[in-house]
Amino acid sequence: MSDMPNSDPRPGLLPIPRSTAMVWVNLAITVIIAAIGFGVGFGQGMKAQEVILATVVSLAVTLWMLNYVVVIFETRTAAKVAARSEPKAATPNLWQRNRALIIAMGLLLLAYLIVTASVPDFRSVMNLIAFLVLELILLFAFKVSGYFASGRSAFIGLIVLGALIIISSFTIDGFLSGPNVKAILLFAAFLGIACVGQTLVAMMGGLDLSIPFVIGAANIGLLFLISLGVPSFVAALFILVLGGLIGLVNGLLTFKLQGQALILTLGMGFAVAGLTQILTSIGSAFGGNVFGSVPPWLQNLAAMNGTTFGLSFPPTILIWIGLAIIVIIALRWSAYGRYVYALGGNRRSAKLIGVSELKYWVLAYTISGVFSALTGSLLLGWSGGGFIGVGDPYLFTTLAAVVIGGTSLMGGYGGYGFTVIGVLVLQVLSSFLIGIGLKYEWQQFIFGLLILPMVALYGRAPHIRAQV
Amino acid sequence: MSERSSSTSTYLLVPILLIALLLGTAAIRNPSFVSLSGFGSAIIVAAPLVFATYALMSLAVAGRGTVDLAVGPLMAFINVSIVKLNMLGVVTGPFGVFFVALGLGVIYQLLFALIVIWVRVQPIIVALSGFLALSGINLVILQRPGGMAPEWMGSWGLGTTIFSPILLIVLIATAGWLLFTLTPFYANLRMMGYDERAAWTSGVRINIVRVGAHVIAGLFVGLGAICYTALIASGDPTQGTTMTLTAVTALVLGGVSLSGGRGGVTGALLGALNLYLIGFVLATFNFGAIQAFVTQMSYGIILVLSLLLTLLVPIIGRHISFISPWGAFLVLGALVIGIMLQVATSGAYLPAEGVMGAAQGPLLTRYLLDTPAGGADFGLVLSPIQKITFLAALALVVLVFTARLINAESRARRMGLFLYVFVAVLILALFAVVAGQGHVSLIEGAAP
Repeated sequence: MSDMPNSDPRPGLLPIPRSTAMVWVNLAITVIIAAIGFGVGFGQGMKAQEVILATVVSLAVTLWMLNYVVVIFETRTAAKVAARSEPKAATPNLWQRNRALIIAMGLLLLAYLIVTASVPDFRSVMNLIAFLVLELILLFAFKVSGYFASGRSAFIGLIVLGALIIISSFTIDGFLSGPNVKAILLFAAFLGIACVGQTLVAMMGGLDLSIPFVIGAANIGLLFLISLGVPSFVAALFILVLGGLIGLVNGLLTFKLQGQALILTLGMGFAVAGLTQILTSIGSAFGGNVFGSVPPWLQNLAAMNGTTFGLSFPPTILIWIGLAIIVIIALRWSAYGRYVYALGGNRRSAKLIGVSELKYWVLAYTISGVFSALTGSLLLGWSGGGFIGVGDPYLFTTLAAVVIGGTSLMGGYGGYGFTVIGVLVLQVLSSFLIGIGLKYEWQQFIFGLLILPMVALYGRAPHIRAQV
Repeated sequence: MSERSSSTSTYLLVPILLIALLLGTAAIRNPSFVSLSGFGSAIIVAAPLVFATYALMSLAVAGRGTVDLAVGPLMAFINVSIVKLNMLGVVTGPFGVFFVALGLGVIYQLLFALIVIWVRVQPIIVALSGFLALSGINLVILQRPGGMAPEWMGSWGLGTTIFSPILLIVLIATAGWLLFTLTPFYANLRMMGYDERAAWTSGVRINIVRVGAHVIAGLFVGLGAICYTALIASGDPTQGTTMTLTAVTALVLGGVSLSGGRGGVTGALLGALNLYLIGFVLATFNFGAIQAFVTQMSYGIILVLSLLLTLLVPIIGRHISFISPWGAFLVLGALVIGIMLQVATSGAYLPAEGVMGAAQGPLLTRYLLDTPAGGADFGLVLSPIQKITFLAALALVVLVFTARLINAESRARRMGLFLYVFVAVLILALFAVVAGQGHVSLIEGAAP
């Protein structure tokens, strides 16, 4: 993306606004939100320790996010004040300034009218309110996001996420109940772990479509190994190594064919899935099906009723959160992360300062393979049975999450934090759509229509006359 | 005959070699392939794939890395729309169906082009968006595979003869594209695909050219959907993903560059046929329960290998620029036809015991060669027409080869070793075919 500014003062790890008044306002908002969560939690009769844990976590996260936003605003306004002294070009008229917004709002209206006309159950006051809130949020997102230089997509994603949560909790009973939140987070964790590699690869300008096939192959491969009598820990480790090897091959093969990484990884995925099914079907009367018992530790790791240190949520969620923190920090502060950005931003200048392109490219694909295999193994624990098609929904949802989060597919811009937002948006939206009674096909349809406007908000290429 | 013309289409050599190999194998493995119904059904089964590949090809030529992943779901969308409209009794006639199919394809692609032009997001994102949206809406229109195709289509999908309406549609579309390549619009299209900025600066109206490429792709998808509907005689909302993946594989196999500017209808056609033949040949090896997995794996490996081969195209082009793909096509075509003639005629004399013997024979015979079991009454009689065809083909091949050889000899500074090897192999192969037939008739010379 050539229109992304590159000299942006980003807030540090612990953003603190300069004005003390803003700190107090943020603190007050945070406490109110945490108190609401606290009350709701006890109202639903959850365990006291879980409520306290959730409250502390939400307190910290909300405070951090509010401060982050405020710091960005402060730096932006300062920059704006500095820029205001410069003479301005002729201001375009209302339509030219707002045409994207008007078109988006019109499309949303159209979609609402179509759905209302075709689905009788959809006609309710609540849905009308939800629709109006959505339009308002769109307006807000468009108008306010202009203040952000970087992180604009993340801001929009967060607003959409907040709006979705508000709308869903209004329209759907039990949306904010413990089990539902747990389910959303669990599925978000699966998707999020699978997206680690996709994000890294996309930031270097590549794509990895072998992810779903590796997930499926790891899923049945692990069960097959366990059913052969291999100790389950060894088997899981072996599968992760195999996943890494597949990623390594992907990286090596695509290095010379970077423009066609999409197709090449797809082919690799086909080959891997086919080969795994052949290997696991040899000597079995049931072609393609593997039977075996999943070890308890793996089930506890990913099943809905798993427990972490006595708390009733599956450890997968914790793994994902830990992983997200590590990846975000590594991308932002480690040499590896900076080089990935450098290579994605400008391949040639990165090479000139001595960054090995091959090394980082292959490493990104290898990481992608490992985490795909990890997702496949965790999904085995979740479902309790091997199935090659378990990865199929991840064919495009990993890509969709990365894109919705705001990582540029051309490379050089984005990050795992954005992807986390994208993943959460997708999962909350999916839960919302299930909640209002739409079936899987409608969800897919809406996902498809959602991606385009989200990308159009921030991922637009410059006009050709600006490229010559 | 010039150096330039042969080097621009060097990428066709790989698909040509592959298709010769596959056709030969298909004919040997399954002799019933060489028959009216065999060819007829092959054309009908391959037609939707051919059109999907054409559509992808015309978009790939337009550049910007446009790979419309939604081509499969779009085809399925048109398919279920036709079937649904037919079941509701709204559109049943041929004109209506063609209008609806082509119209839907064009409208979708027009939308695609306008989004790419005005919203200026990457085509891959629009394709992804379209893929998800169309796959979803397909299942809404038709819950599960079923429904009825229009009645007049009933006879199209039988595949008992080569000259079905499907073949006509494929031929017309191919000829249409070839005619289109003569126009300046096509030159602009290729230029835009190769270097969009250069095209823009030299005054090509790239927006109009892009819209044109998409409209053509839409027409191809519409025709493909009609062929698909005729093939399955019902609606199927679920096959979109598979169709996309196979079409992309076929595109790459046909040597079309996904980064734009290089590609043609010949490559796309060869790629699609190759892919169909791969499936066909694999199906003749009876893998039992793991058949589907073997096919899947082979598709994947072939896709990867053919992509890696595109790296070699410049090297191949440098070293064997004196071989025209068309010359290779002619020679290999003669070879394949020879094999087919042999298989088709010897199959007619194959006694029933022979089949049993072959089925219980050693592994090598069972899996590699369906040899005629050579009973006492076995013999090969070439009819006069076959003889004439064969001799004519042979003469043509020799003539072309001599001409090519002289041509290469006269302008090449050094003779590559490859040339000698290639010529020797081809002549030997021809001898083998001829000698194989002569051998039989020598032994059974007096046989009726």
